[in-house]
Amino acid sequence: MQLRLITAAITVAACLASATAQNSIRIAAAADLEPVLPPILEQFQTETGIHAEATYQASSALTTQIQNGAPFDVFLSADLGYPQKLIGAGLAQGLGDGDTGTPITYARGTLVLWERKDAHLPQPSLEMLRRPEVQRIAIANPERAPYGRAAMAALQKSGLYDSVKSRLVTAENIAQTAQFVDSGNADVGFISLTSATTPRLQADGRYFVVPTGLYAPIEQGAVLVTKAEHRVEAKKFLVFLMSTPVQQEMRQFGLTPSRPVP
Amino acid sequence: MDWQALTLTLRLASITTAVLLLIAVPLGALLVLGRSRWLALLQSLTALPLVLPPTVLGFFLLVLLGPRTAVGRGITALLGHPLAFSFSGLVVGSVLYSLPFAVQPIAAGFAAIDPPLLDAARLLGAGPGRLTVTLLMPLARRSIVAAAVLSFLHTVGEFGVVLMLGGDIPGATRTLSILLYNQVEIFDYSAASRTAGLLLGLSLAALAVIYAAGQARDPGQVLRARGGRRA
Repeated sequence: MQLRLITAAITVAACLASATAQNSIRIAAAADLEPVLPPILEQFQTETGIHAEATYQASSALTTQIQNGAPFDVFLSADLGYPQKLIGAGLAQGLGDGDTGTPITYARGTLVLWERKDAHLPQPSLEMLRRPEVQRIAIANPERAPYGRAAMAALQKSGLYDSVKSRLVTAENIAQTAQFVDSGNADVGFISLTSATTPRLQADGRYFVVPTGLYAPIEQGAVLVTKAEHRVEAKKFLVFLMSTPVQQEMRQFGLTPSRPVP
Repeated sequence: MDWQALTLTLRLASITTAVLLLIAVPLGALLVLGRSRWLALLQSLTALPLVLPPTVLGFFLLVLLGPRTAVGRGITALLGHPLAFSFSGLVVGSVLYSLPFAVQPIAAGFAAIDPPLLDAARLLGAGPGRLTVTLLMPLARRSIVAAAVLSFLHTVGEFGVVLMLGGDIPGATRTLSILLYNQVEIFDYSAASRTAGLLLGLSLAALAVIYAAGQARDPGQVLRARGGRRA
């Protein structure tokens, strides 16, 4: 009896597994896409009937996982470096058949300085970082988080770095940077426009858009994983991601379309 | 090799272990000697840090110790600085995080002591303090050593709480585990292997010394060793 139950359970599980495997793709997505991607995936499913599941983690962690054989079909990174690294190792490729050596830039990110409205501080700006009442400035890890790298560049280029470096606290990623500030432990933090415009942070805080000339563009790259099980569907998704309506939609999530769209 | 991270980690683990023993020994004695029915609840509470994912525990601490709660504001007023992103903040986080690893072995060790022994001592007039120092602690010596070793190692390997509460400040909150994680995340696998190798080597050496010393002090073994020499 027990054995029969187990057999039945395995059969059902196998059917379920093959059902989801048939028309679905797995996406490894940078954590900063968490507010952006779900509606896009829903539209994709409505239009093509292909179901897409996304896993959100730091781009570096996803890169390590793909290097070690994680079964993803598409990788949407928060920068170009990690996808380039995978291409270099022969583990991923761009979209075009001829040109497979470069990741597809699907969006550009914007760096903002964010503070809580109730922080009793003046409007956020780069100059306000010099004020002594700004005791803790949160940034994402500049060695690996794209927005952390951009924040560091902006601080250095604006000549503020020396006066703020003793007050910097480093977070693991953008989400944690926002938590540091949102919990009141840090006064201001460099986060993405995407995070700053999520309903919750929008309601609690205000932000200053860091002049884009102060840091290298935060270009976000996508690649097809070479060993993708669902190649055709994965390619369809990348084409969908680059289509004009989806690119236009990027704006409402605080991302800049990767090419000029009306 | 980042010696600053190593000494910081050792300092954090030593202070945390000392604080934990100061908490866990009286708490363990209370759990064994006390008669209140609430003690079971108290013992359960001390085990709770095991249940929460460490980063979540760290997040709650970050919020609790921050200036947006009365607790956080009180501590800031008392110390003159907020606890988050400071070494003392890490000590607080580590004590909470490793509490079960100190309390559980000590409570179990105390509970294993023969009750008639305790009754005899009570009849002779020993109060709870004296019972603890002259009976419980010597008899449960091995449990206390185990609690200290576990607390120390657990703090050395602590990651999620430090990640959330620390802010990765060199010399103040960048511990070895954070350093290791950073090295892995920037794909510097050779540096990560060196750091991990050193950490494992040092831990193994320290543990071997502690356990060897523990064996030597075991009275039965000492007697057996003497008997062996005589024969």
